[in-house]
Amino acid sequence: MRSPDPGGQPAVLCRGVAKQFYLYSHRTTSLREWFIRSALGRPIHIRHAEFSLLDFNLRVDRGETVALIGPNGGGKSTILRLIAGIYKPTAGTVETFGRIASVIELGAGFNMELTGTENVELYGSIMGLSRDRLARHYEEIVSFAGIGKFIDTPVKYYSSGMLARLAFSVAVNGQPDILLLDEVLAVGDQSFQEKCFERLRAFHASGGTMVVVSHDLHTVSAFCSRAVWLENGSTRMEGDARAVAEAYRAGAQEGTP
Amino acid sequence: MKQAPILVELWRFRGLLRSLVIRDLKVKYQRSLLGLIWTLLNPLLTVAILVTVFTYVIRIQIVHYWAFLISGFFVWNFIQRTLYHATTILRDHASLSRSVYYPSEVLILATSLSKLVEFLLEILIVMIALVVFHHHAVPSSLILFPVIVAIQLIMAIGLMFPLAVFSVLYYDLQHALPIVITSLFYISPVFYPVAMIPEAARSVYYLNPIVGVLELFHKVLYEGIWPSMTLLASVSAAALAICAAGHAVFKRYKEICVEIA
Repeated sequence: MRSPDPGGQPAVLCRGVAKQFYLYSHRTTSLREWFIRSALGRPIHIRHAEFSLLDFNLRVDRGETVALIGPNGGGKSTILRLIAGIYKPTAGTVETFGRIASVIELGAGFNMELTGTENVELYGSIMGLSRDRLARHYEEIVSFAGIGKFIDTPVKYYSSGMLARLAFSVAVNGQPDILLLDEVLAVGDQSFQEKCFERLRAFHASGGTMVVVSHDLHTVSAFCSRAVWLENGSTRMEGDARAVAEAYRAGAQEGTP
Repeated sequence: MKQAPILVELWRFRGLLRSLVIRDLKVKYQRSLLGLIWTLLNPLLTVAILVTVFTYVIRIQIVHYWAFLISGFFVWNFIQRTLYHATTILRDHASLSRSVYYPSEVLILATSLSKLVEFLLEILIVMIALVVFHHHAVPSSLILFPVIVAIQLIMAIGLMFPLAVFSVLYYDLQHALPIVITSLFYISPVFYPVAMIPEAARSVYYLNPIVGVLELFHKVLYEGIWPSMTLLASVSAAALAICAAGHAVFKRYKEICVEIA
């Protein structure tokens, strides 16, 4: 296992992180039940705790590109959300250094009734771009997304590829220090994917830090320096992206992932 | 990660707040020809009915009943709208909240502010009508208008906070709210003045936080007089207390709401 350059500045530090979700009953609990249960002195919530992550450690240095791979439900998206600050860890600490942009659910925050331009403004402010910055980069964002003449059309008429392009375009143009991407690279056609990679390479070259979740092992080995294989909420393997991807592929083929 | 105090955090996200308010207003108005007229039509119809009933059928002895009614009715309407929106706001933004970090207080604030914009347009028309047809002059009490609007806003936000988180935790709230709103309408001085409540029942009556707010509007807009300092101070204190308490509840549950909304 190759540990990151010890002289590097950390961008993300996860120490002994655990995340427990309560599979509540809250979802279905009604006030009626609440009254009955409290009257009878029974416990109000039947909650069933489930660990999504257990004792997870990760250090991502500034300028590094790290991939999170593994089967569904392994805790990959949870890690991104913890790094982004969306979730708070149940135990352990998550420290981040720098401005974060996260694209975890594509198109979240877009309003279908508004036009492309209006959504760029809205999504830009969600991504933390100042109005100034947005105005300066507007042309770049729109041309990168390749929306063309449809930019003044409500986005409900866009294809999912167009939406994805627009969202991605705004996110990377925000010039964050740390970019968190969840399966975002899988959308868009071949040529757009190429453009994305080019953009992400430029981001990397300018010293940006990335943590990506991907199921595309080819992308992972080509694009990331390091990979973490997650399974059932803990790290199964961590190290050189190529090696981890290879091991994961082999494991998956054996049918014992 | 160290959490900054909420006001500092909100200031940092003011750009988002601004965009959300603009979005709310745009989505509502830009593709409808009559825009604001639709928002006005519904309350105006109610106002027309109430004025007819209480001027010609059940005759409330009050000068220019219509003027009294519209001084408070739109305040009530604002509070009612914000409360309704509070029950859906977190679920409407569930996907966004799971994708990007922002303090979810921004959502509450954005909704209350976009409703405030609508309210201000309505109340502007009300004030013009009052000045022209009721006071025939501009009463000096109108200087207090921004103050009582601020009190109204703070109170509404304070009530929205717990409503927002509890309606994620308990879906029932959404069904219960219309009943609560209807009851509130009758136990608040919307279509009758506080003076009609029996003296003995007043202390209980004032437990409803909306009473004081409506009374302030009646004094400032309808009567055109300065409210007593006691009233102004106690309603301000109540609004701030409700907002602080409401936020404490919101803060306690907001993270779990992000996870399960």
